[in-house]
Amino acid sequence: MAKKIYEIMNTKLETIPADATVYEAIEKLIDKRIRSLLVLPKDEKDRPGVVTVRNIIFKVLAKNLDPHKVKISEISSKPLITVSKEATVEDVLALMEKYNIARVFIKEGDEIVGVVSFFDIMAHILIERAKS
Amino acid sequence: MLEKLLGGGKLEKKVLDTTKKYLQILRSAMECLKNVFLTENIEGTYCIDALEREADSLRREIISIIYEGAFLPYIRPNICNFIEITEKAFDALKTCAFEFRYLNKDLFQKIKEDVLRIANINLDMSEILIKAFSALIEKNNIREKNLAIRIYEKRVDEIKSDIADKIRKWEITNFWDGKNISEFIEALTKISDIIEDASDYLYIIDLSLK
Repeated sequence: MAKKIYEIMNTKLETIPADATVYEAIEKLIDKRIRSLLVLPKDEKDRPGVVTVRNIIFKVLAKNLDPHKVKISEISSKPLITVSKEATVEDVLALMEKYNIARVFIKEGDEIVGVVSFFDIMAHILIERAKS
Repeated sequence: MLEKLLGGGKLEKKVLDTTKKYLQILRSAMECLKNVFLTENIEGTYCIDALEREADSLRREIISIIYEGAFLPYIRPNICNFIEITEKAFDALKTCAFEFRYLNKDLFQKIKEDVLRIANINLDMSEILIKAFSALIEKNNIREKNLAIRIYEKRVDEIKSDIADKIRKWEITNFWDGKNISEFIEALTKISDIIEDASDYLYIIDLSLK
């Protein structure tokens, strides 16, 4: 039976407020040695987003903008691409390919409970190969 | 391959079969520990001691067959070292089971999910170690097994760091509660380190035979 995504997802979600600066995000990414942050909604009407190293490079640093002045909400990607925690690894891979994204967020009901990146999927495939 | 290269005599076969049994017992001990965490049944912890005693007798058997003359002299220390490395995993399992008996169960509830994740990984790692040992004998791809074990070990390190982050925020006023939880986590997370060492050792044996 295909493995469910919750079995390999990363449940440690690092977040950042939408009104934080890009510089604060950079500090957090470097401190935690991660490549993306979940952007918290500004208010009840807003939706969560994601800010990645890619966003920061192409939308701020490569354009010589000041990361102290640009707000996260200006560069974050929305809406989040999410799947249910019951989805299979294959479902997630299909989504990654379709939207050309490196990570998919995992939902349980309306709550985001985890994230799966290319690296997690590669590790999963290598482990399955070793088990066979 | 190992059998062929080193003669494949009766003694060699006996050593390899007994080592496989020894590794199977290690796997059973990992499963036993995982079930203890799931059910929180203290009585279940004693299965680790029983399995450790069984493994101890197999270890002595392996060493004595080698002493009788199994394998070429240069390979003998390698097999003995591998067995001795895996023996440390039994020590860590025993410490973990012992500390669990006295663990403050309210504190345990706060980290139960992480502990179960580690126990599951330890179990998977022990299964891959058995496959790595078989791969060494059959001359299959041991490198892939070694890589998977390294991936798992990194994962345990990450979970250990998460647990440490959580625990630092608790106010533990009882000395024994603090000592127990610290030693419990230390032993639990040490198991994956030892399996990684054993897997690395198998990989080195594999390379040395090429």
